[in-house]
Amino acid sequence: MYTEQELIAALRRRDPDAFTFLFDSYSDKVYRLAAGLLEDDMAAEGVVQESFIRLFERLDQFEGRSKLSTWLYRVAYNAAIDRLRKRRPTLSLDIGDDEEMPTPIILADWRDVPERLLTKAEVRAELDKAIAALPEKYRGIFILREIEGVSTQETAVITGLSISAAKVRLHRARLFLRERLSESLMQYV
Amino acid sequence: MTCEELLRYLSDYIDHNLDEALTAAAQEHLSTCHNCRVMLDTTQQTIFLFREQGKRTIPAARRQRLFDQLQDAFLQTKADC
Repeated sequence: MYTEQELIAALRRRDPDAFTFLFDSYSDKVYRLAAGLLEDDMAAEGVVQESFIRLFERLDQFEGRSKLSTWLYRVAYNAAIDRLRKRRPTLSLDIGDDEEMPTPIILADWRDVPERLLTKAEVRAELDKAIAALPEKYRGIFILREIEGVSTQETAVITGLSISAAKVRLHRARLFLRERLSESLMQYV
Repeated sequence: MTCEELLRYLSDYIDHNLDEALTAAAQEHLSTCHNCRVMLDTTQQTIFLFREQGKRTIPAARRQRLFDQLQDAFLQTKADC
């Protein structure tokens, strides 16, 4: 175990154990964010590579003003968004002023459906479908906050949004995903 | 509190970010409005499912290769390039 400062110092010395610790601690986190945004495992691995190599190159300039995880997530988020933009140049991450709050349509209580009627793999498939349908402008924020457990403040730093904008997007993401899961899970009833 | 207001404050309610007065108003509304109660319960279950099952990892078959590639890069990359 290292403190963050110890880890950075050991990485600067090119200590192999420090690299193993870094990889074990952060590679899956960065991968999940990139895979969620890109929906492409190979491209997500490319983002992991790019983010780690960027860190190796900048170790001497890393001042510790942000946490290492925040720094890596931010580099990975930007790399994933760049790849999305190359794939789809018209991609917009803005929310229009006139964009309305998602309206709940399905108001059935499906809470016990996943456990009662579905296998774990089926639940996983429904979650994957729901998050793939979530617009990218909400997806990164949802992954960071709910799956990675990153604070709202750090999520705002990673995505370059204000805290209030990050909160609004998280709220919309939750409502969107609830609606999607309501639609798909009610089919099993 | 109305259903529209409850919907607007739902995430703040879930995250315990509302002040006492708004929390009390939300709880009062939720005790009498079935639809908003379902909305709250299913939103919380949505969050729970993603937190519980959303943690995928790098596929094992490719993890070692990625580790090896990055370790080589780590040992070869001089800091401050």
